Amino acid sequence: MSIDKRITLQQAVEIIKDGSRLTFSGFTIWRRPMAVVYELIRQHRKGLHLIEVNGGSHTEFLVGAGCVDIWESCWVGHELYGKYGANVSRKVREKSLIVEDYSHAEMLYRFAAASQGVPYAVGQTSLGTDIHNPEYDMLGRAGLRDGKRIAKHKYIFTEDSFYGAGSLVLVPAAKVDIAVLFVHQVGEEGTVRINGQFYSDPEVARAADTTIVVAEEIVPEEYLRRDSTRNNIPSFEVDYILECPFGAHPSGVFGRYDVDGEFLKHFYATTRTQEGFDAFAKEWIHGHDQLSYLEKLGWSRMLNLRANSALNYTPRKTKGGN
Amino acid sequence: MSKHALPGEYSLPDLLCCAASREVRDNEVVFAGTGLPMVAILLAQRTHAPNLKLIFEAGTLDGRPPELPTSVGASCCEIGASRSSGLNDAFSIAQRGYVDLGYLGGAEVDQYGNVNTTCIGDYLHSELRLTGSGGNPDINSFASRTVFIMLHEKRRFVNNVSYITSPGWRVKKWPGGEFVHRRDLYGSAFRGGPSAVISTVGVFRFDEETGCMFLDTCHPGKTPEEIKDLCQFDLDISRVKGETEVPTLEELRIIHEVLDPEEIFIPKIKKHAHA
Repeated sequence: MSIDKRITLQQAVEIIKDGSRLTFSGFTIWRRPMAVVYELIRQHRKGLHLIEVNGGSHTEFLVGAGCVDIWESCWVGHELYGKYGANVSRKVREKSLIVEDYSHAEMLYRFAAASQGVPYAVGQTSLGTDIHNPEYDMLGRAGLRDGKRIAKHKYIFTEDSFYGAGSLVLVPAAKVDIAVLFVHQVGEEGTVRINGQFYSDPEVARAADTTIVVAEEIVPEEYLRRDSTRNNIPSFEVDYILECPFGAHPSGVFGRYDVDGEFLKHFYATTRTQEGFDAFAKEWIHGHDQLSYLEKLGWSRMLNLRANSALNYTPRKTKGGN
Repeated sequence: MSKHALPGEYSLPDLLCCAASREVRDNEVVFAGTGLPMVAILLAQRTHAPNLKLIFEAGTLDGRPPELPTSVGASCCEIGASRSSGLNDAFSIAQRGYVDLGYLGGAEVDQYGNVNTTCIGDYLHSELRLTGSGGNPDINSFASRTVFIMLHEKRRFVNNVSYITSPGWRVKKWPGGEFVHRRDLYGSAFRGGPSAVISTVGVFRFDEETGCMFLDTCHPGKTPEEIKDLCQFDLDISRVKGETEVPTLEELRIIHEVLDPEEIFIPKIKKHAHA
């Protein structure tokens, strides 16, 4: 039985409300659902609460556009193409963004707990650091820990009672309303196939109440079911699907296209100030739709990013020193 | 063994890369970050540690990338790997204790090897928010040894870092925040800690009992007194072994002709600069 879960980009973004707790697929500058990020900015979404295993350029876009009030994560930057998140940094300095710091492994454990339906995870990482400094519980300081939408505590320190392993830290499950994934292939019923590293996508898809999958291509469900061991996320965990070729640009997609490093360098260099960000958004986001965005990027740029389908990456020799 | 390069035949990044590479032993499981550490590890793999196992934080296990990846999420990371999966694997493996060595960086370090990558100035009224922790504290908590590669300035080798992102040998015990030896806090998860800081002026190591940093070797042309003067804390210079080993010609060939010919992380020295 086939249930078509297709929606449009506009409909996908309408599902994400002001104030939603939101997360994404990918890793730093890889496989981020940028088409959705751009549409969120066009639709002026406000008050988003991002909870991410790690941030990246997409975080910088959303924060720069003023869509985000709270960001819980561990890292933001553009890897080689921009050494820190200048928009996050600016909004933190202006105190218009609350940042709650966890370590990378802790963020992963938080999503793993949510994906298992348990209220918290346990770890032995980052002990003795300021990540665990009780003074630095920023959501607590803001009086936002209601025990419903946001966990009552940032951490709980405890000791191992089973094997006497010593100090442990409990971290709350990362409960999110919506996860938006960008993947290689999705079937009409929602089965997801990712090629290459799948990062923390299976955990975030399972953790979220609603999962939207944006795919490079929608393929026959039956095709994916012929080889089910290669699939990463089962159909029923996915609520909505849409096809959006090159919808991860400027982030990269294994086997499809590389990160657009020049684009990110330009973004990083020109969006240190709010005026700079606004000018960038005016040029690249507002007044565009996904198709006109791709047209503006142009064929030569996109062909240069294209991965070799046998090698699954873009050998440096074949392009202009990206 | 290949001949050592002469002054003028190598650059400071070359020296750091080779010093970092020498921290790897053969057969070790190594957690790799983006940038110069990546070059150092791949150099070790092509010289003295052909059997090292490379783990990328994004989820590639025992990777053999065909060219230098520009980040750990990059597509060429998983080519030739034993397994490509995700962060749950990478961090589980690390917390389980498989990782021998990790390479990390930082903006500030104190005498105990506590490192800051989070912010400059008071955290609650931050002048400059940096990238944040990423996996720095996790790799540093889980690996038996970690090596930090850092730019050396007096404002970076400080009495107190603005924010302890990554745990050194003496760390804060919460909720009070008093400093205790790392061993006393980590319990059964204690495996070691920072084993070297490779800065732009020298190589530093730690006395594992006192937790304090000492100067191990000076880079060519630097004196212990000069280096001590570049630290806000009272650096122990009583255990200096001599000069940091300079790159060999073979190492330089591998770095510049094989690993990073496009100068993504390590620039070539200009021909006219040759001695």
